[in-house]
Amino acid sequence: MKAYTITRDNLGAWLDALARDYTLIAPVREEETVSLFKPVRGFAEINLGYTNSTVSPKGWLFPQTEEMFFFSTGGGQITLADAQTPGPAVLFGLRPCDIKGILALDPVFNGAYQDCYYQKRRQDTILVGLSCTRVERHCFCTSMGGGPTDGGGADLLLTEMDDGYGIEVLTPRGEELVNRYQQYFDADRENRVIPAREELGKKLAGQFTRNVDTTGVKEFLDQHFELPYWGELARRCLGCGICTYICPTCHCFDIFDQSPDGELGVRSRCWDSCMFSHFTRMAGGHNPRPTQKERVRNRFLHKLKYHRDRYNLDGCVGCGRCVTRCPVNIDIRQIIADLQEVARHD
Amino acid sequence: MTKCHCRNPLKPYPATIVKIIDETPDVKTFQMVFDDPAVMESFRQKPGQVAQLSVFGVGEATISITSSPTRKGILEFSVKKVGMLTSALHRLEPGSKVGIRGPYGNHFPYEVMKGKDLLFIGGGIGLAPLRALIDFVLAEENRGDYGKIDIIYGARSMDDLCFKYDILDRWPQMPGTTVYTTIDRAEPGWEGHVGFVPAYLEEINPSPENKYAITCGPPIMIKFVLQALEKMGFSDDQVITTLELKMKCGIGKCGRCNIGSKYVCLDGPVFYLSQLKQLPPEF
Ligand SMILES: Cc1cc2nc3c(=O)[nH]c(=O)nc-3n(C[C@H](O)[C@H](O)[C@H](O)COP(=O)(O)OP(=O)(O)OC[C@H]3O[C@@H](n4cnc5c(N)ncnc54)[C@H](O)[C@@H]3O)c2cc1C
Ligand code: SF4
Ligand code: SF4
Ligand code: FES
Repeated sequence: MKAYTITRDNLGAWLDALARDYTLIAPVREEETVSLFKPVRGFAEINLGYTNSTVSPKGWLFPQTEEMFFFSTGGGQITLADAQTPGPAVLFGLRPCDIKGILALDPVFNGAYQDCYYQKRRQDTILVGLSCTRVERHCFCTSMGGGPTDGGGADLLLTEMDDGYGIEVLTPRGEELVNRYQQYFDADRENRVIPAREELGKKLAGQFTRNVDTTGVKEFLDQHFELPYWGELARRCLGCGICTYICPTCHCFDIFDQSPDGELGVRSRCWDSCMFSHFTRMAGGHNPRPTQKERVRNRFLHKLKYHRDRYNLDGCVGCGRCVTRCPVNIDIRQIIADLQEVARHD
Repeated sequence: MTKCHCRNPLKPYPATIVKIIDETPDVKTFQMVFDDPAVMESFRQKPGQVAQLSVFGVGEATISITSSPTRKGILEFSVKKVGMLTSALHRLEPGSKVGIRGPYGNHFPYEVMKGKDLLFIGGGIGLAPLRALIDFVLAEENRGDYGKIDIIYGARSMDDLCFKYDILDRWPQMPGTTVYTTIDRAEPGWEGHVGFVPAYLEEINPSPENKYAITCGPPIMIKFVLQALEKMGFSDDQVITTLELKMKCGIGKCGRCNIGSKYVCLDGPVFYLSQLKQLPPEF
C-alpha cells in the first residue's frame, strides 16, 4: 500500500485539523509519571514522546465506566433510552502492542452476541499507529509475536524519521483519511518510509532487556491445572487488581444501576477484575475461587491459555504494563520462564 | 469489522408480572408477559435456558426459565430470595414492570434424549430448570418421544417444597410418570418419605438401562447424587447437570462465569458429567 511523508510542522497542523473534524484521542502527559489517552483539542496537548501509556488506550473503545441506557419507570410504564455514543473519532499515536491489544478485544465483543457499545465505537474510530522509538525496561512485545514497528491492525502507521514522519497506509479507511487531508502529506517518492521503519525495527529488536520463550507453555498448562507454583505467587499478590485495569486485553466488567429517585435511572458497566474476591462470590457465600491462589491462576491462565483456546490469540501482547505497575513485582515474563522450568522438571 | 445490526443484547425488554405464586417462605414463582406481543412471539427458549431479569434501579440476576416452551404466551421464573435483586423482585406485585433479556445458554439435550427413560433428581429451588424439561417431555405433542419419567424431588421441609401443585397433584397423574418426594426430617402431616435426596435415590435404585439422569440442586446434593448414580452404574454420558456460577452479561463478554476456557453463560449451564470431569474444579 501507499506511503507518505509529513514534516513536523505539517504533523502539528494535521493534528489540529483532526481535532476540529473528529474527536481526537491521543497520548497526553498527565503528571511526571502518568500518561494517558484522552480527547485533546489539538497538537499542543499531545505527547508523542511517550513509550507506553500508564493505562492502555482500550478505554476509548471500552470505557472504564460506560452508560448503557437510561430507564424511566414513571406512570407504570418502562421506557428505555439509549445512551449517547460518540461519533467519528481518531485514536492517534497507538503503539504496536496496544493495537494488538485491540485485536485481542475484537473477538470478545464480536461473535454470536455482538456488543453494540464496543462495535459502534470501534466502527467509528480510525486507528493511527506510531512506531516505537525506544524500548522500555519491561517491554517484551517481540516475545508475544509483535514488534515495536509492527503496526498491523491500524489504519495508518506513523514512523518517526530524521526530517519528520513516514506514514504507511494500511487499510482503505486509512487511505480515505490521508486523501481527506492531502495538503499535509508528501508522496514518498524515494520510497524511504518502509526501509526507515524496517531499519528502526532492527535497531530496537536488539534493545529488549528480556526475551521470553513461550514455546510449550500453553501445552503444559493444558495438562496441568494444579501447580504449587500458583500458591507461591499468590502469597505475594495483594489482590489490588492494578494489573487488570491497565492491561490492554483485560475485558471483564460489572453492570450496575443508579437511580437516585427510583424513577429515572441509568444502567452502566465498569471495568472489574478477576483479582478481587467478590468477583465470583455468589449469593449465599459460595465462592469457586475462594483464595488469591485461584484468582492469580485464573489471570495467568487467561493470558496464556484461555484466550487462545477461545479466540486463537494470546491474551498478552507484551506491553509490560503489569510488570511495571505491580506493587509486589509479579512479572509475567518471569512466570512464563518459571513455567518453562516447571515443565522441564515434569 | 463487521457492522453491528443486532438489537442490543444487553438491553432488556419491558415485561409485566401477571401473577405471583408463593411456593415456599422464600421462593416465589413469577408469571411474566412481554409488553410487546411481537417480542413474546419471537422469544423462543429451550428447556434449560436462562434469562437475565431486571428490576430497574436495582439490577439484574440470572434466573432459569422454569416454564416449558410448549406453554405459549407466558414465561415463568421461580426465584429464591437471597440478595438485592431477588429481594426486590419479591417485593413486587402483579402488574409491576420488570425487564427480561435472553434466552441464554445451552439447553438440555432433549433431541438426544428421545426414546429414552428420564430420571429427574431435584433439590429445593434446583427443580426450577428441570421443570422446564419435565413439562416439555410431558407435553402432549412430545410425550410419545420419551419413555418412562421418574422424578425424585426433595426439600428441607414440607414448607420448602416448590411446585407442590406439580409434584403432588399434576405430575403423578400423568401417564408413565412416577414422582418420589422426600423431606429431610419427619413432620406432622407428612406421610411421604423422609431423608436426603441422595439416600432416597439409592433406596429407589433405578436401573441405568436406556436412561438419562438429570439433576439440579444445591452443590452438596449434586455431589452425593453424582456419586450415587456412579455406584448404580450410570455412565458419565448418561448424567446431566446444570452449573451455577456468578453471571453478569450472560453473553460471554464480562468474563465472569468462566470455568477454565468455558463460559457457563455460553457453553452451559447444562453439562454432561463427562464434560464436567474435563473442566478444572472451579465451581
Ligand atoms: C445458570 C443459573 C441459573 C439460575 N437459576 C435460578 C433460578 O431459577 N432461581 C433462582 O432463585 N436463582 C437462580 N440462580 C441464582 C441467581 O442468579 C442468584 O441467586 C441471584 O443472582 C442473586 O442475586 P441477588 O442480587 O439477589 O443477590 P446478591 O447477593 O445481592 O447479588 C449480587 C450480584 O451477584 C450476582 N450473583 C450472586 N449470586 C449469584 C448466583 N448464584 N448466580 C449468578 N449470579 C449471582 C448477581 O448477578 C448480583 O448482581 C441461577 C443462577 C445461574 C448462574
Ligand atoms: S498481561 Fe501485562 S504485559 Fe501482557 S498485555 Fe496485559 S498488561 Fe501487558
Ligand atoms: S498488580 Fe500485582 S499485586 Fe496487584 S493484583 Fe496484579 S499481580 Fe496481584
Ligand atoms: S456472564 Fe458474562 S461472560 Fe458469562
